Amino acid sequence: MDTVVKRIIANIKKGDQEAFAELMDLYKDQVYHIVYRMLGNVHEAQDVTQEAFLRAYMNIDTYDEKRKFSTWLFRIATNLAIDRIRKKKPDFHLEDNVPGTADLDYHSQFSNEDPLPEDQLLQLEMQEWVQAEIMKLPPKYRAAIILKYLEDLSLKEIGDILNLPVATVKTRIHRGREALRKSLGE
Amino acid sequence: MACSKNQLQKIHRYMDEEMNDEEQKMLEEHVSDCGDCAAHLKEMRQTVAIVQSTSHFKAPDDITQNVMNQLPKQPPAKKGKVWLQKHPFMMTAATFFLVFIISLASGFSPDANQIAVQGEGQFYVDESNGVVIVPEGEAIYGDIRIENGDLNVEGEVHGDVTLVNGEHIQASAGGVTGEIEEINAFYERIWHHTKIFISDVFSLSSDTTEQTDLSIWF
Ligand SMILES: [Zn+2]
Repeated sequence: MDTVVKRIIANIKKGDQEAFAELMDLYKDQVYHIVYRMLGNVHEAQDVTQEAFLRAYMNIDTYDEKRKFSTWLFRIATNLAIDRIRKKKPDFHLEDNVPGTADLDYHSQFSNEDPLPEDQLLQLEMQEWVQAEIMKLPPKYRAAIILKYLEDLSLKEIGDILNLPVATVKTRIHRGREALRKSLGE
Repeated sequence: MACSKNQLQKIHRYMDEEMNDEEQKMLEEHVSDCGDCAAHLKEMRQTVAIVQSTSHFKAPDDITQNVMNQLPKQPPAKKGKVWLQKHPFMMTAATFFLVFIISLASGFSPDANQIAVQGEGQFYVDESNGVVIVPEGEAIYGDIRIENGDLNVEGEVHGDVTLVNGEHIQASAGGVTGEIEEINAFYERIWHHTKIFISDVFSLSSDTTEQTDLSIWF
């Protein structure tokens, strides 16, 4: 795995643009997932994912090959997502916040034209509810919880991505977990 | 809610699997006797299970193609080259050294810690943190020079960046298309001004921005 990534990055540095498509295919789902969980909106998630890859390409020379590529890439992506959340606060997008339409966005995840069977619908509601609760977390707790429980990354990796000491990552996970316990338990 | 703050901390450590066998046993014993802590631990585990039950989904199909269409035709410029390597003539500049220590004295005058920015475009200065920020969505066309401050490019800089006593913060991975030159240590600062002096005297460089900088120092 790692040797594949190294080879691809070496090719990109040599100017082989097509190699970048290979790199994207390896990481796009994970980047998109992280960003979607942080922003809770498919359009913004796509936008930020594309921006993150574009920046990764433009800055590929600053990537230190001794470190894990995914850590570097996720750092760019989470920084962009956090920036986006901060900017979003004052002016809300209509489509994001009209009560009762939150699920519209979620449904568009599934390009299924047939009506959904009952159990799938239930599953979908559950997903929406959890996402809504994640969105209530302050961004700094949100990022730590997503990376830990949805991406299953180690505390050390999360610290590297968020540029925080491991002790701080722990505190954020504890607080985020506690906040979710309260809100999910209501 | 756990019966005490102390027990709550222990529950978190237990969940993070950070306890040794003895601590673990003690907590388990406590939980079996304490209804509050038992409930708290159970809820916490359920919370994690619920969060983890959410499904992963794939990125939209057109993401790769959209990005590929936006890549510049030329491969990205190499960044962060060591300036001395590009200017080997510097190594012979010792003759001018003394001259520059004198002229630099004015450079370390009382306002030496003030952030000074040269460049045209939209940026703002976060004075409390000593950072010059080019906000996202902004593009600066031309060179920038910053003294006594760091640079955080969230937008784009289409030009070269010179940082005296500051650094380029990579956190947001904003784009700088030109060269980034960081001159941080005192001696590097001297070398840099020596370079400007040489380029002026010998016309070794056609870089006009550096020429205009001379007015500050002479
Ligand atoms: Zn207790």
